[in-house]
Amino acid sequence: MALPLFLLSPALALLVGIVAYPIGRAVWLSFHRLEILQPDLTRFVGLEHYQALLQDPVIRIALQNSVVWVVGVVVFQFLGGLVGAIILNRRFPGRAVVRGLALIPWATPSVLVALMWTWMLDGNYGLLNDLLVKAGILSRFQPWLAQPWSALPAVILADVWQGIPFFAVMLLAALQAIPEDLFEAAKIDGASAWRVFCHVTLPLLLPTILITTMLRMIWTANYMDLIMIMTGGGPGYSSLTVPLHAYYTAYKRLDFGYGATIAIVQVVILAAAIVLYLRQLRANEGMVQ
Amino acid sequence: MLRFCRIGRLGACLGVLAVLLIAGSAPEPLHAQAPTLVRYWLWLDDPTEPMFDQLVKEFNATHPTIKVEYQLVPLSEYHDKLVTALAAGAGPDAGRFKDWWLGEFVKLNGLEPMANSVAKWPGRGDVIENLWNTGKITAAGPVYMLPHQFITFYLYYRRDWFAQAGLKPPATFEDFLAAARKLTDPAKNQYGFGLRGGAGGQDQWLAFMVAGGARMVDTQGKVIINSPEAVKVNQWYIELFRAHKVAPPSAPTDAYAQVLGAFQSGNTAMMAHHVGSSVLVTQKLGAANVGVLPIPAADPAKPATMATMSGNVVFAASKQKEAAFTFISWLSENAPMDKWSGSRQGQLPVLKSVSRLPRYSENVFFKVSLDGANYAIAWPPLPGVGYVSAQAWQANMQRALLGQIGSKDMLDEIAKALQR
Repeated sequence: MALPLFLLSPALALLVGIVAYPIGRAVWLSFHRLEILQPDLTRFVGLEHYQALLQDPVIRIALQNSVVWVVGVVVFQFLGGLVGAIILNRRFPGRAVVRGLALIPWATPSVLVALMWTWMLDGNYGLLNDLLVKAGILSRFQPWLAQPWSALPAVILADVWQGIPFFAVMLLAALQAIPEDLFEAAKIDGASAWRVFCHVTLPLLLPTILITTMLRMIWTANYMDLIMIMTGGGPGYSSLTVPLHAYYTAYKRLDFGYGATIAIVQVVILAAAIVLYLRQLRANEGMVQ
Repeated sequence: MLRFCRIGRLGACLGVLAVLLIAGSAPEPLHAQAPTLVRYWLWLDDPTEPMFDQLVKEFNATHPTIKVEYQLVPLSEYHDKLVTALAAGAGPDAGRFKDWWLGEFVKLNGLEPMANSVAKWPGRGDVIENLWNTGKITAAGPVYMLPHQFITFYLYYRRDWFAQAGLKPPATFEDFLAAARKLTDPAKNQYGFGLRGGAGGQDQWLAFMVAGGARMVDTQGKVIINSPEAVKVNQWYIELFRAHKVAPPSAPTDAYAQVLGAFQSGNTAMMAHHVGSSVLVTQKLGAANVGVLPIPAADPAKPATMATMSGNVVFAASKQKEAAFTFISWLSENAPMDKWSGSRQGQLPVLKSVSRLPRYSENVFFKVSLDGANYAIAWPPLPGVGYVSAQAWQANMQRALLGQIGSKDMLDEIAKALQR
């Protein structure tokens, strides 16, 4: 018993150091008012930050935006990735080159993606506006990032563009692992292409779909670089998400205790959403089988 | 026996070598002191420019008892990195600093008061008198930030467009609005004024607020930015976008790059900024087509604009305060300051002797800026200014520009954030 524990201890120490300690520290912070440069003056405030959270109108907006952001990004990235994977799985001339090129958005640094899309969506001389006006779809340029109704969708569009290759590559790998004879057997039994997709392809892709969407939900919920650079959470609070609100509160208002409280609420909500999602998918998996 | 002889000869040789080595190093002082290390942080608008590296090399060469090591940090991350580094006990000894953060860091006991060092500094009489206040919390209190480079806001205008439209350069709010309306033509994607509602727009806004007669604080330091007078000026500023529509539709989120780009590409007729953009603007549009004016005032008899200072501070946690002050005060001496102000980082020199040099006094952009220093008003040294300039102003200005809140609500939020 002692030897296995001894052998596991480096990994355990690492986990405690990089996972348990930061989480514990964040929980501790949420019950304290931290004086960042004068730690001696830091004091216990109990549930004060959690009570303040209930009165904070901005957190409600940030929560709504976070839901739209995560759902919008993950759904469209998944759909785009699925279509991309099916196309890339077919045989066509230059497939290897196209497969490589398709990875470019995923390989592009987030800051570059944000700046590139900011200029493409610019309200004065952006490429997108120019194309839409020349095509007769718009009569005049639209300030996509400066209107409350379009700011968050515009940032979602940029992130969807960046994230589609992730889903495409993961699903392509899963598609390639499906034995050809299953498709042949279904065809011999007279199944249509749609039925083959629903009853052969999709059930066998489900484990990959499950893990990739879950990972993407977690990443997207915590991801704020793109929003911070493209809109800063604005206009107003139109694109402010929970992690961005936590960041501004901690680092710009220097209220680390309340910032940690916001972050903990996000972790709890995210954990609950992931548990519900896994349960639902497992139930569906059972139905498919 | 032979082996012992060889060992004996080897030992003798080593002994002679050791004596020679000791003798050779004898002229060196027995306890040669290493130079005092000063760690300095700064941001540069153009980090590729070698100007600062040359200054540090020059200082290290002329001050053998001090060695300066510097670290460049982008301005957008400077505050966050500074706070966390100081909290972790790994902060620099001295650093470049904005007046925005003064109240916050003094409240946290993060800065070293420099009254005694400044009193002994020979260059103190050469600093433009009004600018000392940007480094203090109260007029009678100690200096926490040594003034170094500053900016005052002025107005760029398209001289060619004004001439074609038969307009005079605006001196009052009324003239400004009339000109902006006349030069606005949405069908041509052309607007009168590049209003900056995005990141960094608070300086432009404050320039118009003080020019309209509003003040952040009264003489006792009480926050009055939500006074009825200020609400009225703010309403006028919001209406430029909402009612008169003389600013581009993208104004709520436009930051420096967008406002500059719109002016350079002929989408806007006027832009409020400072001397830092003068080269970019004239290179693109031609010097003959660009004019520069003080910020128009509600009452021309009471001109005002905003000034913001980038100075130098010594951090309270430093163990090398004296050496750190020697370096930052050297940066504020005549030749290093001229080198800095004349570089691509180019802001206004705080020394009277430098500002009188022909390259500044005969340059129209520097001249209008330096004239503005006489009546410019800086951000008050309140603990909340850092938060207001980093986020609170932007979020609330954008909400006001979108009609989600009124002028009074916006200023109440700003006042609350300033006093937190």
